[in-house]
Amino acid sequence: MASQTPAVVMDNGTGYSKLGFAGNDSPSFVFPTAIATKAGAGSAGSSGARPAVANKPSFLSGGGGGSSHLSAKRGTEDLDFFIGDEALAAGSGPGYGVNYPIRHGQIENWDYMERFWSNSIFKYLRVEPEDHYFLLTEPPLNPPENRENTAEIMFESFNCAGLYIAVQAVLALAASWTSSKVTDRSLTGTVIDSGDGVTHVIPVAEGYVIGSSIKSIPIAGRDITYFVQSLLRDRGEPDSSLKTAEKVKEEYCYVSPDIVKEFARYDREPDRLLKHTVNSPNGRSVQIDIGYERFLAPEIFFNPEIYSSDFLTPLPNVVDGVIQSSPIDVRRGLYKNIVLSGGSTLYKDFGRRLQRDIRHLVDDRIRASEARSGGARSGGLDVAVVTHKRQRHGPWFGGSLLGQTPEFRSYCHTKAEYDEIGPSIVRRFALLGGPGSS
Amino acid sequence: MSSPFEPPQLFNIPLHLIPLHSSHDAGLSLNLFGGSGCPRDRYAAPPKQLLPSMRQHLQTTRQTKDHVKADQYLWELGNFPILPLRTRTRGPAYTLPALPPNTADIDVAPDSESYDCVDEILSLFRANVLFRNFEINGPADRMLIYGTLFVSECLGKVKPTMTARDAEKALINAALDNFAVPGDVSFPLNQAFEPPRDRQDAESLRQYISQVRQEIAVRLHARLYPGGEGPSKFWLSFTKRKFMGKSL
Repeated sequence: MASQTPAVVMDNGTGYSKLGFAGNDSPSFVFPTAIATKAGAGSAGSSGARPAVANKPSFLSGGGGGSSHLSAKRGTEDLDFFIGDEALAAGSGPGYGVNYPIRHGQIENWDYMERFWSNSIFKYLRVEPEDHYFLLTEPPLNPPENRENTAEIMFESFNCAGLYIAVQAVLALAASWTSSKVTDRSLTGTVIDSGDGVTHVIPVAEGYVIGSSIKSIPIAGRDITYFVQSLLRDRGEPDSSLKTAEKVKEEYCYVSPDIVKEFARYDREPDRLLKHTVNSPNGRSVQIDIGYERFLAPEIFFNPEIYSSDFLTPLPNVVDGVIQSSPIDVRRGLYKNIVLSGGSTLYKDFGRRLQRDIRHLVDDRIRASEARSGGARSGGLDVAVVTHKRQRHGPWFGGSLLGQTPEFRSYCHTKAEYDEIGPSIVRRFALLGGPGSS
Repeated sequence: MSSPFEPPQLFNIPLHLIPLHSSHDAGLSLNLFGGSGCPRDRYAAPPKQLLPSMRQHLQTTRQTKDHVKADQYLWELGNFPILPLRTRTRGPAYTLPALPPNTADIDVAPDSESYDCVDEILSLFRANVLFRNFEINGPADRMLIYGTLFVSECLGKVKPTMTARDAEKALINAALDNFAVPGDVSFPLNQAFEPPRDRQDAESLRQYISQVRQEIAVRLHARLYPGGEGPSKFWLSFTKRKFMGKSL
């Protein structure tokens, strides 16, 4: 085909959805995965505890079984909703309630999600689904039933031309191919995906997630914000709102190699203490000081003890443990390609510190086992943490990269195949970007 | 009966007469954390007597052991280490040479001969106080714990509105106040600290701890009021944190 329409890449995460077209280097839209519906108007989605099954009346395919008096009442109010930033704006006013259809990475409310997608496609991206292939993402360990539900909505409600569902961690690995450090385009590596709510460490071997070894850490962006806030409060800064804490976190924080030395450095170089001006909406502006939170905040990844009392394992130890619990023949590859993804991995020198700490753990273990073996020498183990420019929207960018390849369409399931076989067809997808593809 | 400040044996030579560069193989750990590339050769202690670092619990710093001078540990009362101090207060501590003129306390390098455990306590304080767990790896760690808790107590005495003079008074008062020593019923850390052997030891320990407290108070004041201005709100922000969930 001479002029193919670009594939649509949609990465719906717990916090934010990233939408755009394959081949672009950043998503066209990034907005909260939120939907605001008329509260209490008896709309199709207001019953919150809807079972997550595929065959339920959906608002686009119509409530076929609905009785006449209900359909009269239906009217157009089920079309009265907003998504994304508009949803949050509507939700802050009267009449609308905000819902988050994705929880812990998985779709919980299919009716809301269907409406969310319909607005994403028709209102934001403004595409005809019949003309485009779609690349969606899913979290690791997503049950196949969820894929079937997704396919049902995509093919039957939207009638899209083709569909591919990829695992976010695998896409994040593909996104790291843009780094100059990565020489071979392998899909083996450890993905550290840290967003707002939770941090996952996911080992991937040749494109397949090693599900039994995945670990998640209850420390991520939101915790860093809370920690910054508590530090601002301890110091009695004039403004210590969550919003200010978030700004401070995003603009000033970095990872230090050694906190004791960093404290001493702040004593010697007082110009490391900064000022930040907060402009409040009522026109007033306050100046606050920025101090040790600059390096203490991201430190909670490396010394969780300073923030949390129940989770105490440092991130480097978790990564090391994940790799050690993976099959022995892929461990070398997992150590060699540790890929960062997500907004909370963007701190300056995050990758360097992580690499150093993991390397120390590995070297200590090698030294200990050399000593035990009595004279045997180890060839050493290469530990490399890959930092790259596309980290923030890693999975989306990986999807964009793979979705633009000429053979992408051959990996998708088409509408015709779906009609032939049914939803179960999406239980399996050929590995995109795996061995044999360019 | 020999004075409690004499090391156990060592031919009855008073401790301060032992040249630091000698390599006595006596029941006396003059070391110091060897290795790690620091200019420590003057403490050529036999390797068996190495004490673990005071701050090994600090994961971040485990690889860079340069501040571990507090392991200049000489002997103990109970199990409280009696470390040399750079101080002008009179007391039982072995006195380290004073700083050369024009040198601030903050600038003392860990390998300087004047560097003492108070320097180390103060430089580690802001990091240590964030931690709730602390593993005691050697007697010097008890000094670190005591010192850190005392710094916390001092910070509580300084109010954000105090002038440098008022704060100085408050700190010195805090240091000289009645305080409990290991073995006293009111001492909060008796699980980790052993009581001194007898009354005489207890009295010596009290004098030594008093010296440490005064030295901490003086040097903490210098850090709280850099250039005479302050108190530094960055230091005072650590007031509410409780090292290991304890306080003196």
